[in-house]
Amino acid sequence: MRNTKKFIASAAAIATLIGLAACGNGGGLSATVDTDTANAKGEVVFWGWGNGIKETIAAFEKANPNITVKYSSTGTGADTATALQNAIAAGKGAPDVVMLEDATVPQFVVDGSVVDLSQFGADKLKDDFAAGPWAKMLQEGKPYALPIDSSPEVFFYNKAVFDKAGVDGEAIKTWDDYYEAAKKVRALGGDYYIANSIDYQPFLAQVWQAGSQPFKVNGENITIDMNDEGIQKYIALQQKLIDEDLINPKITNWTDDWYRSLGDGTTASLTIGAWMPTDLETGAAAGKGNWRVAQLPQWNEGDEASSEDGGSALAITSQSKNTAAAYKFAEFLTHGDGAKVMADHGTFPATTKLLEDKDFQSKKNEYFGGQQVNKVLVEAAERKVSAFQYLPYNPYAQSKYGDDVVPAFQGKKTLKDAIAAYAKTLADYGTDQGYTVTVK
Amino acid sequence: MSDQTIHAPAGTAHSPEVRVNKHKADWRGWKFMWPFAVVFVFVFIVPILYTIYISFFQKKMIGGTKFVGVANYVRLFHDPNFWSSVGRVAMFTVVQVPIMLFLAAAMALALDSMKLHGTRFFRISTFLPYAVPAVVSTMIWSFMYGAKYGLVASINDLFGTNFDVLVPSVLLASIGNIVTWEFTGYNMLIFYSSLSTIPHSLYEAASIDGASEWDIVRKIKLPELKGSLAITVIFSIIGSFQLFNEPSIMQDMVPGNAITTYYTPNMYAYNLSFTGSQSNYAAALAITMAVITMVIAYIVQLKSMKEQMK
Repeated sequence: MRNTKKFIASAAAIATLIGLAACGNGGGLSATVDTDTANAKGEVVFWGWGNGIKETIAAFEKANPNITVKYSSTGTGADTATALQNAIAAGKGAPDVVMLEDATVPQFVVDGSVVDLSQFGADKLKDDFAAGPWAKMLQEGKPYALPIDSSPEVFFYNKAVFDKAGVDGEAIKTWDDYYEAAKKVRALGGDYYIANSIDYQPFLAQVWQAGSQPFKVNGENITIDMNDEGIQKYIALQQKLIDEDLINPKITNWTDDWYRSLGDGTTASLTIGAWMPTDLETGAAAGKGNWRVAQLPQWNEGDEASSEDGGSALAITSQSKNTAAAYKFAEFLTHGDGAKVMADHGTFPATTKLLEDKDFQSKKNEYFGGQQVNKVLVEAAERKVSAFQYLPYNPYAQSKYGDDVVPAFQGKKTLKDAIAAYAKTLADYGTDQGYTVTVK
Repeated sequence: MSDQTIHAPAGTAHSPEVRVNKHKADWRGWKFMWPFAVVFVFVFIVPILYTIYISFFQKKMIGGTKFVGVANYVRLFHDPNFWSSVGRVAMFTVVQVPIMLFLAAAMALALDSMKLHGTRFFRISTFLPYAVPAVVSTMIWSFMYGAKYGLVASINDLFGTNFDVLVPSVLLASIGNIVTWEFTGYNMLIFYSSLSTIPHSLYEAASIDGASEWDIVRKIKLPELKGSLAITVIFSIIGSFQLFNEPSIMQDMVPGNAITTYYTPNMYAYNLSFTGSQSNYAAALAITMAVITMVIAYIVQLKSMKEQMK
């Protein structure tokens, strides 16, 4: 029938129109960025996760009665990045302020989804933040986010298990010491291991600490070098641990098994970011009193190299219609009075003022057997950090790490081959996304 | 619709005026059709056309969105990750579907035999797993599967064994077990309802003629099941080609990343669009999978129709 044909034709036309419309507003740049923070008012939509947010918002609204903050808990860093990506693709629906994992900031800068905060004078806050977290906010010298926490990589260990194995946690100064300790812990038998297979973020943090710089991003050019001296040192150590069954391949970070093994001590230590204490207290309550924290083992005796693992920050989206109020809130939570509220609820702060606070440093933590945990963490935060960059497609890199590298921890291939294959996967993806990628 | 006038009784249908009627637009049918047609177009046709449309583009972080023609399909054709995921669900289908349908048919026959006590209780309890959301049942099973803290661990402790059902080599079978648990009851119900349409007088007549219980099953009940078998097979094939919930929930619970980002085609599509921002490529994958699934379902249907014709 003729009208059937017409019908199909018009349906196709509608579909095409919808398609074109959806493609049209991909970037979603707002025309004006309002920087008049003094007169900011109205509503700020905020996506984030973690402890102490509600209390911080209450404090902010009390101090700024003209502004209300509408908070949605978006779960985790990965979920938030995905949700933001969807809102950007749709051209609407993004919040004014968004919490991002530090490593995902670059990709939102590249596609213009977050605004340059130096318009609000954020570049002048440089000296108020610890060097490590601040450095991660910069893209071509300009801050695109404000750091919520600093996250130096540190060494957590279960003292009760270490004592039983005859290991002195305080005496582990180098990765060689760590290897010797791993053998003694494994000698306890059963499921006792010094660590489980390494996750993506600790992997990056540890190669970073070894002085490696696997990714160099310069505009549209990316250099991937997964073969430098730092990575080679890292591979040699991990391969030795894998070959001698000193690392548990059956437990993955953030699983129920992981928390349980941290609670009962069968996973006897962790090399992870300084934000871990609250996670340990809530996730592995059974381990209370047994855990201690120390500086990360070094590659050369006497060194004081550190690195960053994770961490989160606040950015303002380019879809925001109320940027002035958004910045005011972001500044309050990360740098202003809100930072103290966050710190009181377990966030390991990024501002030097809070880090150097005497009360903060001398606080004793019962979960860690009364240890002055913050003192150790602050010392780590103030250590030297070498230059490091994340890929502008960090979530992809993170998901592919599981596909390519983790099988090496189960002895299916050597870590060297796995990491070489991983470098190729990342390079292929970068090329596909229009970057000029060089693999070394 | 208006075609009826043409097939009017022979003799009167030969006048030329009636023929003309055939080509005249008749809107009466559409008046009844439009509520359905509008919904159908917007929830079914438009999304499919849109998916096909975006599958011809590529969005790059550098360079934005560009028309690339069939490049996404060519790339998909050469993508070993995609084919390994298709192979995995195909193998899953070949092994899991027959086991599940055999169990479902056996249960339906048992319930229909009228020789069991508590038929109603068994009917509802075998169907119950289908009412449990897949996310919940996957989590329950995964906790049981745990070789360190789960039920498997307790069994290992008790008997001094060392089973681990989550190692990569048997993982697919473990997922198959969950899916079988979830859907056997559902298929059983389809079989059972077609069995219950058989008039009981037929059984009585058969037993008077000296047929044993086994003869009745073989000669009366099983032929009756054939029709519903075709439906359940097609549903099951479509279901297992779309395998997603179980492996993606288990991904975070299974040690050592045994479930990759491209474990099943659906998971691959999901990860491509949400962690890789390659939704155009994922659209090409979705269309290709839809075609593959339709072709397989169509072949099965043709085959079963031929069988029934015999």
